[in-house]
Amino acid sequence: MDGRDLELRRATYALFVRLGRAPSAAEVGVEVGLPEADVHDGWGRLHDGHALVLDPATGALRMANPFSAVPTAYRVEADGRSWYANCAWDAFGISAALHVDGRIETACPDCGDPILVEVRDERSSDESLVFHCLVPAARWWEDIVFT
Amino acid sequence: MNLFRSEEHVERWLAGREPGATTSVTTLCALAHAWWGDRLSPEWVPHTGEQNQAILDGLGLTGPFWALR
Repeated sequence: MDGRDLELRRATYALFVRLGRAPSAAEVGVEVGLPEADVHDGWGRLHDGHALVLDPATGALRMANPFSAVPTAYRVEADGRSWYANCAWDAFGISAALHVDGRIETACPDCGDPILVEVRDERSSDESLVFHCLVPAARWWEDIVFT
Repeated sequence: MNLFRSEEHVERWLAGREPGATTSVTTLCALAHAWWGDRLSPEWVPHTGEQNQAILDGLGLTGPFWALR
């Protein structure tokens, strides 16, 4: 992962934020002036460096953490737009990354009751909730999608 | 990595599986801001393992479960 890869990553994230969805390699290529194949090559190096996550079957973006390229149980509204987050941690991470307040919509995995949380001034509006992490930290990247 | 109504809901959801770690949402929110706060910075470079471990340690997330290596 070198400076060009970091620039590719920066452009990928910026487009993800602007579009409210994952950009394609072609869209990022237009943004940075690179052929689509070069974007895929760079994304591959960033994936290997855990700077983003690709879908192993298609090579498309799967995660630009904390943003998810696919619908999840964690929907986040912030700064007048909305994105899916990869997990509860990432749901709070979207407000953190954007440095704005936000609103998280999810449901308790046990009972299915809706959970709506506002993030204001870096704090949760409902402090009665709890976070559970199933996988030990040393194993998070063994299967980051499951984690 | 999920958000639950309470620890009782976590236990029921685990249904006898080995639990991971449970924290307050307040800790989670602080963790998210420390971990992801620089993610969109133009100057972002990957955190080192030591940096990330220091974030966890600083929030009291210590012990074997939270050891990144």
